[in-house]
Amino acid sequence: MKALCWHDVNDLRVKDVPEPQITNPRDVVLRVTKTTACGSDLHFIDGYLPTMREGDIIGHEFMGEVARVGRKVTSLERGNRVVVPSFIGCGSCGFCGDDLWSLCDNTNPNPELQEPVLGDVTAGIYGYTHAFGGYAGSHAEFVRVPHADENCFPVPDELVDEQALFASDAWATGYMGADFCDIEDGDTVAIWGCGGVGLMAQQSARLMGAERVIGIDRFPERLRLSRSEAGAETIDYTAVDSVVEELEARTGGRGPDACIDAVGMEAHGTGIVHAYDRAKQRLKLHTDRGKALRQAIVACRKGGTLSILGVYGLMDAFPMGIIMNKGLTVKTAQQHGQRYVPKLLEHAAEGQMDPSYLATHEFSLEDAPRGYELFKHKEDGCVRPVFAP
Amino acid sequence: MTYAQTVEDERTGVVSSAPDRTRWKRIVTIGTGGGLLLIGLRKRSTGGATLALLGGFLCYRGIVNRSDGQHDLERLGTSLDRAEASAGGRTVERSITVGTSAAELFERWIEPSTVTQVFGPVVEISPEESTVWTWRIDGPFGWHRTWRTEVVESEPGEFLRWETHDDALVDGWGTVRFRRAPGERGTEVTLRLNVDPPGGALGNMLVERAGFIPEILATKALRRFKSLVETGEVPTLERNPSARGRGDLL
Ligand SMILES: NC(=O)c1ccc[n+]([C@@H]2O[C@H](COP(=O)([O-])OP(=O)(O)OC[C@H]3O[C@@H](n4cnc5c(N)ncnc54)[C@H](O)[C@@H]3O)[C@@H](O)[C@H]2O)c1
Ligand SMILES: [Zn+2]
Ligand SMILES: [Zn+2]
Repeated sequence: MKALCWHDVNDLRVKDVPEPQITNPRDVVLRVTKTTACGSDLHFIDGYLPTMREGDIIGHEFMGEVARVGRKVTSLERGNRVVVPSFIGCGSCGFCGDDLWSLCDNTNPNPELQEPVLGDVTAGIYGYTHAFGGYAGSHAEFVRVPHADENCFPVPDELVDEQALFASDAWATGYMGADFCDIEDGDTVAIWGCGGVGLMAQQSARLMGAERVIGIDRFPERLRLSRSEAGAETIDYTAVDSVVEELEARTGGRGPDACIDAVGMEAHGTGIVHAYDRAKQRLKLHTDRGKALRQAIVACRKGGTLSILGVYGLMDAFPMGIIMNKGLTVKTAQQHGQRYVPKLLEHAAEGQMDPSYLATHEFSLEDAPRGYELFKHKEDGCVRPVFAP
Repeated sequence: MTYAQTVEDERTGVVSSAPDRTRWKRIVTIGTGGGLLLIGLRKRSTGGATLALLGGFLCYRGIVNRSDGQHDLERLGTSLDRAEASAGGRTVERSITVGTSAAELFERWIEPSTVTQVFGPVVEISPEESTVWTWRIDGPFGWHRTWRTEVVESEPGEFLRWETHDDALVDGWGTVRFRRAPGERGTEVTLRLNVDPPGGALGNMLVERAGFIPEILATKALRRFKSLVETGEVPTLERNPSARGRGDLL
């Protein structure tokens, strides 16, 4: 079958690869119908996340049709149309039991690559480094889904693909980020990043009752979506002297009640601290440029919540003193998709939230490298390129 | 080493102070390990897998030996150092918590199919003698060694101990213990593995070169055991597709 593979840093290629097979009794193999790019992919494409190997199939945000069914799968049959969260849960361990699915104990086959660095082992994920499990990704004609009963969510017939696809990652992540903020009447929530994840966080914060939602980015078309689709007001951070002062001014000097980082380790920025981050990242002395996160920490009101969705490596020069002295609550995680997907599909079916505008471009699998070019450089208004294998 | 010192040193470029020398040594260890890991991962042969495992182990050592490491890493680091210094080969210890009773876990552990699944191709058991396990390591050019251990002591629901036969070229023993975890957390399972090849440090190195790295073996064995008991299967990349072909077993 055809698949999009990581060949080297900034080098993706479409290759012929073997088809996946039922390997464990609870597996299904899906025929992938839609699969999309995520900001997290950019981190290993750009070479900041280690343990990719030449030839790895990438992709972790997808939906498909059940093609083959393992003998111990009970709730699915051939032809079912399903959406699948990026992190693989087992449904049986204590973490899955606590609805903390991305922390599942039983789905990462390569614990020895992760434990020395993290001090523990996370769930496995599709197409996203060997430290995170090494599973073949979804940018392919077929993908193997382990523990299928726990990981495949049937999509209601009345929804089009693009209403369900992003529940796999961008939507579940953004929704979780807003959920972390425990939004109360009158709250203002500021969100750094108006990519797929940031936009979903903004729209979810609105749905959860935030009085004001403020989206921060620099790309005009993304800021436009933030206003028109997510119901937010916006700040173009390149058009103001200080994002922190701008937020203060807009909130009567209080600062936002909750701040969400939907940018991550490759934040764009200027100035001396950014130059320091960038130099150290180049020399591989640390992995992160943390401009957006540092701003969020400074901007957040005393006693407020900091919700971190952006992916980070091992960042130093981290302003812990500000978090500590302002008494901020920090909540963060890789997305616990299985906790949210049923709720999200319900929101879509009842017309309360529709994420389909994220799908700005569609490509065949053969043209996927071109899709990633547009997505990486944010060209032609690309928010999420969707591939149809 | 404090955080402030680290930043200062990196800014001034001074790397010769004592703590820094150990830091650089560590970085070199991690670097070499990472290099081997990647070279190893690129090859699909047994030699490649061995290199990868050795690389992973070096990374691991580099990281756990950091002097400013977190509590857990320090604990692992010192227990490894202690293990290495002791006579009678090298012993490693790892623990995991599994959400079931000790009695059930003991029963599961002594099933031959469990042992072969959790240790992978390293252990073989013949159906006639389920308490005798054959350990096998494979080196480059068809070189291999086998040795046999036998379960010598066991207390249902509590522990199990196995030892090599007296005439074995490679000596070694292992124990697994089960202890109730607090609250509803199930059972703490502790695995100790000892391997004592002839030739002391050199022997240890050869065994490691052949992919028998007790630290990694113990970690993987416990994780697989937990997954097998809790979910009925072990997570695997046995037939995982990629442009390299099929299969990604490490
Ligand atoms: N926690 C999770 O489970 C999870 C899931 C998916 C994605 N992520 C992470 O979320 C982040 C965003 O993902 P995405 O798919 O939306 O990516 P994306 O690349 O589409 O969007 C990132 C946006 O951040 C903006 N940005 C860059 N620097 C900024 C700054 N200094 N201030 C404000 N905005 C800035 C960019 O202009 C861009 O629009 C990534 O780090 C990704 O790895 C996390
Ligand atoms: Zn993602
Ligand atoms: Zn689990």
